[in-house]
Amino acid sequence: MFYIIGLGLCDEKDITVRGLEAVKGCSRVYLEAYTSILMVQKERLEEFYGKQLIIADRDMVELESDEILRDADKEDVALLVVGDPFGATTHTDILLRARSLQIPTQVIHNASILNAVGCCGLQLYNFGQTVSLVFFTETWKPDSFYDRIKENVDLGMHTLVLLDIKVKEQSEENLARGRKIYEPPRYMTIPQAVTQLVEIESLRQDGILSPSDTLAIAVSRVGGGDKHERIVSGTLSELNGHLPEAFGEPLHSLVIVGKRVHPLEIEYAQEFAIDKENWRRVAEIVYGCALD
Amino acid sequence: MDKPTNIRNMSVIAHVDHGKSTLTDSLVSKAGIIAAKNAGDVRFTDTRDDEKERGITIKSTAISMYFEVSKEDLSAVKQKTDGTDFLINLIDSPGHVDFSSEVTAALRVTDGALVVVDTIEGVCVQTETVLRQALTERIKPVLVINKVDRALLELQVEKEELFQNFRRVIENVNVIISTYNDPVLGDVQVYPDIGTVAFGSGLHGWAFTLRQFANRYAKKFGVDKEKMMARLWGDNFFNPKTKKWAKTSEGGGERAFNMFVLDPIYKVFDAVMNFKKDAIGPMLEKLDVKLASEERELEGKALLKVIMRKFLPAGDSLLEMIVISLPSPATAQRYRVETLYEGPMDDESAIGVRDCDPKGPLMLYISKMVPTSDKGRFYAFGRVFSGTVRAGPKIRIQGPNYVPGKKDDLFIKSVQRTVLMMGRYVEPIEDCPCGNIVGLVGIDQFLLKSGTLTTSETAHNMKVMKFSVSPVVRVSVEVKNASDLPKLVEGLKRLSKSDPCVQTSVSETGEHIVAGAGELHLEICLKDLQEDHAGVPLKISDPVVGYRETVKAESSIVALAKSQNKHNRLFVKALPIDEELTKAIESGKVSARDDFKARARILADEFGWDVTDARKIWCFGPETTGPNLLVDVTKGVQYLNEIKDSCIAGFQWATKEGVCAEENMRGVRFNVLDVVLHTDAIHRGGGQIIPTTRRVCYAAALLATPGLQEPVYLVEIQCPENAIGGIYSCLNKRRGQVFSEEQRPGTPMFTVKAYLPVMESFGFNGDLRSATGGQAFPQSVFDHWELMNGSPLDKGSKIEELVRSIRVRKGLKPEIPALDTYYDKL
Repeated sequence: MFYIIGLGLCDEKDITVRGLEAVKGCSRVYLEAYTSILMVQKERLEEFYGKQLIIADRDMVELESDEILRDADKEDVALLVVGDPFGATTHTDILLRARSLQIPTQVIHNASILNAVGCCGLQLYNFGQTVSLVFFTETWKPDSFYDRIKENVDLGMHTLVLLDIKVKEQSEENLARGRKIYEPPRYMTIPQAVTQLVEIESLRQDGILSPSDTLAIAVSRVGGGDKHERIVSGTLSELNGHLPEAFGEPLHSLVIVGKRVHPLEIEYAQEFAIDKENWRRVAEIVYGCALD
Repeated sequence: MDKPTNIRNMSVIAHVDHGKSTLTDSLVSKAGIIAAKNAGDVRFTDTRDDEKERGITIKSTAISMYFEVSKEDLSAVKQKTDGTDFLINLIDSPGHVDFSSEVTAALRVTDGALVVVDTIEGVCVQTETVLRQALTERIKPVLVINKVDRALLELQVEKEELFQNFRRVIENVNVIISTYNDPVLGDVQVYPDIGTVAFGSGLHGWAFTLRQFANRYAKKFGVDKEKMMARLWGDNFFNPKTKKWAKTSEGGGERAFNMFVLDPIYKVFDAVMNFKKDAIGPMLEKLDVKLASEERELEGKALLKVIMRKFLPAGDSLLEMIVISLPSPATAQRYRVETLYEGPMDDESAIGVRDCDPKGPLMLYISKMVPTSDKGRFYAFGRVFSGTVRAGPKIRIQGPNYVPGKKDDLFIKSVQRTVLMMGRYVEPIEDCPCGNIVGLVGIDQFLLKSGTLTTSETAHNMKVMKFSVSPVVRVSVEVKNASDLPKLVEGLKRLSKSDPCVQTSVSETGEHIVAGAGELHLEICLKDLQEDHAGVPLKISDPVVGYRETVKAESSIVALAKSQNKHNRLFVKALPIDEELTKAIESGKVSARDDFKARARILADEFGWDVTDARKIWCFGPETTGPNLLVDVTKGVQYLNEIKDSCIAGFQWATKEGVCAEENMRGVRFNVLDVVLHTDAIHRGGGQIIPTTRRVCYAAALLATPGLQEPVYLVEIQCPENAIGGIYSCLNKRRGQVFSEEQRPGTPMFTVKAYLPVMESFGFNGDLRSATGGQAFPQSVFDHWELMNGSPLDKGSKIEELVRSIRVRKGLKPEIPALDTYYDKL
C-alpha cells in the first residue's frame, strides 16, 4: 500500500490517529519538504513516530518517484506531506504513477491552510480562486495572478494569496549548467508581497488593489497556537508600512478581502487590525458594510 | 594633438610578407625615432623577440609621430585643416591570417589604411580579407605597391611590363574595393593620378607618388600640377620629337609614366648596378641628389639605397599621401558614427562622436590590451572618439555585456595615467582629447578584452568588434607540477586579456581549454602562456577542432517534453535555417539587437520568412547572438510571456551544448508550437521550465536528422609550376579540394586555391614543405562550415565514431542519449 499522509500545519502532534497508525506500519517513510515546512525539525517527528524519515526534496518527488514507489505493492510505504495531500500542492502525479504500477493507494487527510485560513474570521464559502505569488526577479514578473484576483474581486470574493518559498532552489545560472548548487532558503515576507501586488496594480491600473482602499489580512504559522500564530489585518498600505517582525515567523499567507464581505467577518477581523478605526471606516465607506 | 582636423589615424595592412613592418620603418625614421640608415632592417614595430626571430609581425603596434606638410601641398588636402603640422598615429598590424583579429582591433581605432601589396605576388587572400574588414569599418584605403626593387633587380622587367603589372595590381585592388564598398564612403577606389597610390621599396627606403614627379615636371611643362599628375598615368603618350601629347602610342610617342617616372629610376639602377661610375655623377646632379663624401665610396646595392633614398625618400612621400588622402578624425567620425555607436543617433554621446567634440561627453573605445613591463598588468589601448580623457575623474567602464540602465558589466573607476604608445616605448601625457589613440593605465582589471569608457550615464556601448576569424582550433593544457595550477589559472586570464581573439575556458571535466584561430596563432599563445603569463611548464594536448551541430530536416514529429512536476508541457519542432541566413547572423547583418520590425522585414524580403513568424523570434543563441533561433508560433496561449525568459535560458543552454556531442549548434530554428502550463506561476518557474526547454530542444533536434558541420580553411598556395604535383598529392591525402589554379600573369608563379578541412590541417605546412621541396607557401584562413556526410545516429558510421571520440574527450557517456531521454510520451 502506498500512503500519502497529511501532517497538518504545526508540529509532530498534528498527525491524525489514522495517519500515525499507518506510519507505524510502514517500511519506508518519506517526508516531502519543499512545498511547505513544518515548524519543527525532522528529528522531533522521528522521535514521536518512532520511525526514520527520508527527506524527499523536489527532485526526488518529481524525478525519482520510482524509488519512492519501490516495492510498495508488497509492503507499506508512506509519503508525508505538510498540510493536506490534496492541498495547495497537488501530489496527483505520484498517485497516477502508483496507479499505473498497480499499487494500491490511500490518502489520509489533514488540515491545510486552505481551510485553516478561516481563523482570520472570513468565511471559507466566500473564497474564490487561490493564487500563488512568486518572487519577482528583474526580468521575470509573472502577473497572471492579477487576472485571477480580478475575477474574484468582480464576484466579490476573498482571495487567498500563498507566498513563495524557495527551499533548495538553484540559481538560474546553476540550473542552466546543471549544477546542483542550491541557494539559501528564502521566504517571502508580507511587506514584500504587498509591494509586488502594488507594483502590478500600478502597471495594470484596474483599481482592484488600491493600497489605501483594499482590506487584507496577513496570517502566519496558522495552527501554531498562541505562541506562533499571528494574524494582522489592515489596508494594504498599512500592512506595507508595518514592521516585518509583527507578522511573525514564515510561512506567511495573505487574504485579500472581497467586496461581498459580511459585517460579522469585519467585526471578527477587527480584533487583529493595526488601526481599528481605519479598518471600520474603510469597511463602511469602500466596502459598503453596515456595521453596528 | 588638440586639433582633430590635423590628426591622421591609420593602420598598415597587407598580406603576410608584403613588407608592412619594413615600410613602417621608413615612416618611423622620418619622424626621427630610428636612424635613417637602419630603416628597413630594424623593424621597429616588431617589439617581441619571437617577432624578430620569425620575421613576422604578431601583435599590432602603435606609434605616434609629427609630420609637417609644405605650404604648397596643403592646398591638395581636400578637408578642413589647421596649420601645416600633423600628428600621425600609425598602427602596424600583422599580415598572417591567424592574427587578423589584431587587424580588426587596429582598424577600429583608425580612420585610414595604408594597404601594402607586393609588386610580384600581387593581391593575395589576406589582402582581400583586410581590405574587406577595412571597408566594413568604413576605413578609407590608400595603396602602396611595394618591393619594386625586386622587380627591377631580380626579375629585370621592362618598363612597359612593369607599368602593366602596376596597373593590374591596382585594378585587382579596385575590384575588391568596389565589391565591398559602402556607399556612405563614396568612391574610395585608388588611382595613381589622384595620388592615392604609391610605389616603392620599403627595404631600400624609397617610395613615390605621382605627386612628386608632377611637382618636378609641372614647372618644366608649364602646366598645372594636378593636370600633370593625370598625364603621368594611364594611356598618355608623349612624343619627345614633336613635343606633343597623344592618347595612343601611334606616332612614336612613349607612355608618359614610363618616360618621366620609370626612366629616371631605371637609369639610376642601371648605372649603379652595372658600375657605370662616370654616369652616376651627372645623373645625381640632374636629379638634385647630393651625397656625403663617405657615401660616394659606396658601391652596388648600398650605393643604390643611398641614392634612391635621397632621390625619393619613402617617409616624405608616404606621409604626404597619408595626410593628403586619408580623412582626419573630424571628417571620418561624421560618417563612422553610425557603424560605431549602438545607441540612438541623437543622444549626447552620438553627437559628441559625430562632431569629434573634445568638450563632449567622453566616449572611448578600448580595442585591445597591451602588456606592460610590469608583469601581469596591461595598458588599455583605444581611441578617444569624443571628449577628453585624463587621469583622476571617475569614469564609467562598460563591458561588452553592459545594457544601458542596468548595472551588469559596469564599473565606475578612474584612470591612473594616460600614455602615448610609441612602439616599444610609452610616453606619459597629461590628457588626451578626442581623435587620438591612447593607452590607459589602471583599468585593465575591469575589462576583459575590450569595452567602452564614458562619462555619460545614458551612453550605450560602442559596437563590439566583429572578428573575421573564429577560434576553431583548441588544445587543452595542464600543469606538469600540480602545485603550479594557480599560476596556470592566472596565466590563462592574462593570456585571454592580451589577445583579442584567443578564448580560454574550463570544460565540464575540469580541463583548461585554449582556443585560437589557427595552428600558428595557438603556438604563439601557448608559448606566451608558458614563458610569460603563467611561467610554468605545461603539458599540451594535440589540437582538436570545434564542430557545429545542426539539423538537416524538419522534425519528423512534434517533440514533447514535460516539466519535472508534469504540470507543464512544451511542444517544439526543429528545422534547419538557410545557410545564407545563418551566415547573415554570423556576420552581424541580422542580429539580436536589431529592431524586431526591421529585422522581420529583412527576413521576409531576403530570406523568404513569414513576416508574422519573423516578428516572433524570441531570441538568438548561444550567447544570445548565435545563429540559432527560438521562434514562438503558438496561437493564443495564456501565460506564455511569463515563461519566455525561462525558455530562453533553456534554449541558450541547449544551443551551446548540442545534443550529439555538446558542441555549439548552428543553423537550427526551434518553433514553439504549443505549451500547456499550470495556472499558478509558482508551478511553472525557472526550475520547471528551463530544463524542460532544453530537453524539448534536444528531442526536436534528434527528430530532425541531426548533422555535424566541420570548419574548413581556404588555403591559398603560391608556388612554381613544378611544385603543383606535390601540392595536389598533399591535399588529396587530407580531403582537400582544389577549386582554382591560375598562373600569375607575368610571373612563373602559380596560385592554387583549395578547401581543406581544419581537422586535416595540422602539420599540413610541414608536409607541403617536404612534398614541394620548400617551394610552396600556403596561407590558410577559416572559410566556412561544411556539412559532413552521414548522420551521427548511424551506428558504426565515421561520423558516429567522431561524435563518440568527442564525447569521450569531454567525459560524457560515449553514446548519444536515446530519444526517450528527452522525449516524453503523452
